[in-house]
Amino acid sequence: MREEMHMVKSRPLVFVHGKGGVGKTCISQALALEFARSGKRTLWVEFENPSRPMGELHRQEVHLGGLWHLNAESMKAFDEYAALKIGKLGGLPGLTKLFLQNKLIQYLAKAAPGIHELVLLGKVWYERTRYDHVVIDMPSTGYSLAMFQSTLNFAKLFRGGPLNRDAEAMLATVGNPEETSHLIVGIPEEMPLREALELDQYMKGFFPNNPSAFVLNKRFPKLRAVEETESAAPFSNTTLEYAERRSSLEARNLRLWSDAGVAFSEIPLFAPGEKVAERIASIGAGHIP
Amino acid sequence: MTMPILDQRRIIITCGTGGVGKTTLSAALAVRAALEGKNAVVITIDPAKRLATSLGLSVEALGDKPEDLTPALKAAAPHCKGRLHAIVPDTRKTFEDFIHSLTSSPSVADRVIRNPIFQIFAKEFSGTNEYMALERLYSLALDRRYDCIVLDTPPSRNTLAFLDAPSLLARLFEEKLIRWLVLPANKLMASGIQKILTVLEKLTGEGFMTHLFEFAAALFEVQGTFVANLKKINALLASEEVGFVMVAGPSPEAVPEIRHFISALDSHQLHFDGILVNRTLGHLKRSDANDPETEKALKLVEAMQERERKILTEIRGETKTASVYEAELPELSRDVHSIEDLIHVAQKF
Repeated sequence: MREEMHMVKSRPLVFVHGKGGVGKTCISQALALEFARSGKRTLWVEFENPSRPMGELHRQEVHLGGLWHLNAESMKAFDEYAALKIGKLGGLPGLTKLFLQNKLIQYLAKAAPGIHELVLLGKVWYERTRYDHVVIDMPSTGYSLAMFQSTLNFAKLFRGGPLNRDAEAMLATVGNPEETSHLIVGIPEEMPLREALELDQYMKGFFPNNPSAFVLNKRFPKLRAVEETESAAPFSNTTLEYAERRSSLEARNLRLWSDAGVAFSEIPLFAPGEKVAERIASIGAGHIP
Repeated sequence: MTMPILDQRRIIITCGTGGVGKTTLSAALAVRAALEGKNAVVITIDPAKRLATSLGLSVEALGDKPEDLTPALKAAAPHCKGRLHAIVPDTRKTFEDFIHSLTSSPSVADRVIRNPIFQIFAKEFSGTNEYMALERLYSLALDRRYDCIVLDTPPSRNTLAFLDAPSLLARLFEEKLIRWLVLPANKLMASGIQKILTVLEKLTGEGFMTHLFEFAAALFEVQGTFVANLKKINALLASEEVGFVMVAGPSPEAVPEIRHFISALDSHQLHFDGILVNRTLGHLKRSDANDPETEKALKLVEAMQERERKILTEIRGETKTASVYEAELPELSRDVHSIEDLIHVAQKF
């Protein structure tokens, strides 16, 4: 298990995947904190998180390596990317402006399917050259799939142009175990555990040479006395009943992963009010037995 | 006792971020309606197939056609007078059906469907699932046999994505822009467009622009019908028949989400009907532990209860101005795997 997290931490690009509500934001933030504290120049990326200002780059606390946060926004990433490409074609800044202000282009940028995911992946791919580590908080498993599938689609759709070459190069980077790691987060509930296994299968299809690592988040304390049987009563009445049933239910649910041969590290469920990302970073996600 | 919201609205749309139990509660709402004697149907657009699992069915058991679950419901609740159905639309098929429905010419539909851009569009476009869910809802709404329709919206990080999907799709059909692509005269008239198209062609490589023109030309032919359909759907959503309900967990993120949700519904002039807070722990009575290990676990549960109380107070603060339905659904001590479990949940509304 420690070996698994060690692998995650040795690579420049780290994608943190998982179903909504499993704690990807905390875990990706904790990983970024750990990188920064070990002296690495680190960027922590979210994609269009509606509860934070969009498209802005912030320098967070000053650690040895420095930690930056970017809430990447697709329209801004599109503009940046277009400017870069038109410049490479030999176009002058005036042409870039004309291009970006054109109604047809604005329309395609907003409405073309998959373009948001493509330019956001492109943004991360570009930023990796400017930091030691880039940690990406992926919005949901569906989004993870859409992002890689769209890039694959564009690689097919744009034949022979610079966009095709970029899309191909992005996929090569994300599929390369030397450069990128994929961390799938689950919590000990049936659906998130199942969804993690499904995502793992899809990811194997996309990137056969770069297997994902797993981490289990929000593990309720294991109670020794409890048997792993399904509760007969639908609701619990006391905190003790609840604790015993939750402990037993989690142990049963986790067979989904162990039966599938998944090795994973565990992060405990922290009491509300604790600075969770801080706590995970301080214990080191990979150092939990 | 009947649920007022089920008497007031024929159609209930549940929204919420992923992982809060939206699909389970949507199914439980439909079960509740059936228990109250209604002919109910639940539609879910869920890639994870949660609905089949929570009903204790195999994933293949549910599909595009309404599946009659009344016998299973009656086996668990013999006195139940209502009916229960479930639909899991095949969104890809529906989108093809939808294109066919927009035109009487099979060759036009074929040109759209065979276009490589459409192939990707039907699968990947972030608004497609949402829009198709609404198309399906619209056709079901016309079927007066159903007196309760629950639509479980696709999971998303942003609860408002669902509401914005139709307008996102409408953008693709914007007449003026399609005209530019389709009609050469307009293309020349638009200043600088040739230059732009040259750049675009260089960037995208061979073939893409041809596909794009073909796609735009085909869309142009079905555009009028699409815009008319969209108007009908929007009129249905804003009608008195339809109410929106938000499902949230008792977590700190819920409060800003609810605030955004209420104001977005308001700006779209849609009816906000209630909040369902799922998996609450407030009902648990405190008990003592015999060993330090259990003691630690109980302290954790108590801390979670404490936070939940604060969050529920905040949620009430957000909704106090509106006369909304609010329910706290206690967490089950097992995963929902049968109609019996759904009935237990349904009785807590």
